[in-house]
Amino acid sequence: MESEVMKVVLDGVILNRHSFSLAAQGEFSQGIHLVSGAVGSGKSTLALAIAGIFPPEQGMISRPGIDSVMISMQFPEYHVTGMTLQEECTSWGCKPEKIFSSPDFFTKKHQSPFAISRGELKQFHLSCILEKHYDLLIFDEPFSSLDCESKQRFCQRLSQQKKGVTILFTHEETFLPRIDRIWEIINGVLHDRGAPPEAISQWSGAPPHIKKLIGQGKTPKNISFDDVLEAACRT
Amino acid sequence: MIEIRDLRYRTLHIDYIDIPEGITTIIGKNGSGKTTLLRLCAGITVPESGTILIDRTPPRQTTTGWVNEFPDRNMLFSKVYDEISSPLRFGHVAPDTADCEVRNIANRSGISHLLSRRVYDLSGGEKVLVALAAALATHPKILILDEYDSHLDREHCDRIEHLLRDSGCDYILRCTQQMETAAGSDTILMFDEGKLVHAGHPADVFSYLKETGYYPFSWRVRL
Repeated sequence: MESEVMKVVLDGVILNRHSFSLAAQGEFSQGIHLVSGAVGSGKSTLALAIAGIFPPEQGMISRPGIDSVMISMQFPEYHVTGMTLQEECTSWGCKPEKIFSSPDFFTKKHQSPFAISRGELKQFHLSCILEKHYDLLIFDEPFSSLDCESKQRFCQRLSQQKKGVTILFTHEETFLPRIDRIWEIINGVLHDRGAPPEAISQWSGAPPHIKKLIGQGKTPKNISFDDVLEAACRT
Repeated sequence: MIEIRDLRYRTLHIDYIDIPEGITTIIGKNGSGKTTLLRLCAGITVPESGTILIDRTPPRQTTTGWVNEFPDRNMLFSKVYDEISSPLRFGHVAPDTADCEVRNIANRSGISHLLSRRVYDLSGGEKVLVALAAALATHPKILILDEYDSHLDREHCDRIEHLLRDSGCDYILRCTQQMETAAGSDTILMFDEGKLVHAGHPADVFSYLKETGYYPFSWRVRL
């Protein structure tokens, strides 16, 4: 039997939470999607809704072809269940020898997750998630607390994903992976800007340096660090 | 001047540094000691040995505003208005004066519309803005911000940058992973494994970092 194509479908979705309402319509197909939006625009709520944790007020969210879902929440401490990093690693179903082969964690396996810095905890949390395959991966602000080198490493790891739907909700401006589609939330509505490079000039929340490049007629092919650097170096 | 001498705390070792007035940004890898130094300067923790003096006064005798990297941990009260007014109430400021201060700082921070909201219902970025407003309400001598911008969009970052410049605080100490933000500081300190490796004006510090991801992108491409 032919397997169903993986995607997330938002059909007439209305999310209401506190003082905002968000309308969302569209399909997230296989690949990496970037969702941007102002503080408080509903990104985290949409992430929870797509993960199936927060029910929409109206409409339907379906996930045909998707058997496994993982959401990485904005604050990594929300995920902690183990007393030590080793226990934490095991709770994610990861092999400790793989996670602790990294020099960043090699000496820390018996430490409490709360005894390391938040950036280190975020690195650890993302490593555990990326160690396994999920059909649908949702990252809410994955770059927050990460140092510049870790952000670059995370982008590299994401670009190695061969299949599945990956959705990034982020404010990050400099270190981004090459993505397949850009979405943004404006005035309570989710807008599908399409695929790069065309989508980049439609992206009203683009980082200032990308907007400057567009103004100079140097629209990047994509939004990764290397793509933007290539555009900036064009003569 | 903030004078740090022979400071030892866990893995953090600083032999000598003088930090001038203005905005100082601490950068470095995760786990390099940035938050530890901020906590010591705020007086939240005390050094195992050595001294920190802020204009010749120990941190615990200096009025300090603190914005934690965990926004939820900043919150003592359930309503935004009560949270921002709490340092004024604890300082026995008259209710009318406190009310004016709260509305003024909320307006300058762009969060007047949140005053009646429950803090636990706010987004991560909104919580940071509330924490910052509460920290500034008492006009502290030193304001300390621990990765406050990792939850904020560009518009809010720019707004806060103006707010910090107009805050009247003699010293603003912060850490960030946004190098474009760091580039706008008066002084940068870079740490690696608990040691201070570079200190000075952004142009000087970043001149050592051209081959790394820490070099500001806008400087790299001269936009």
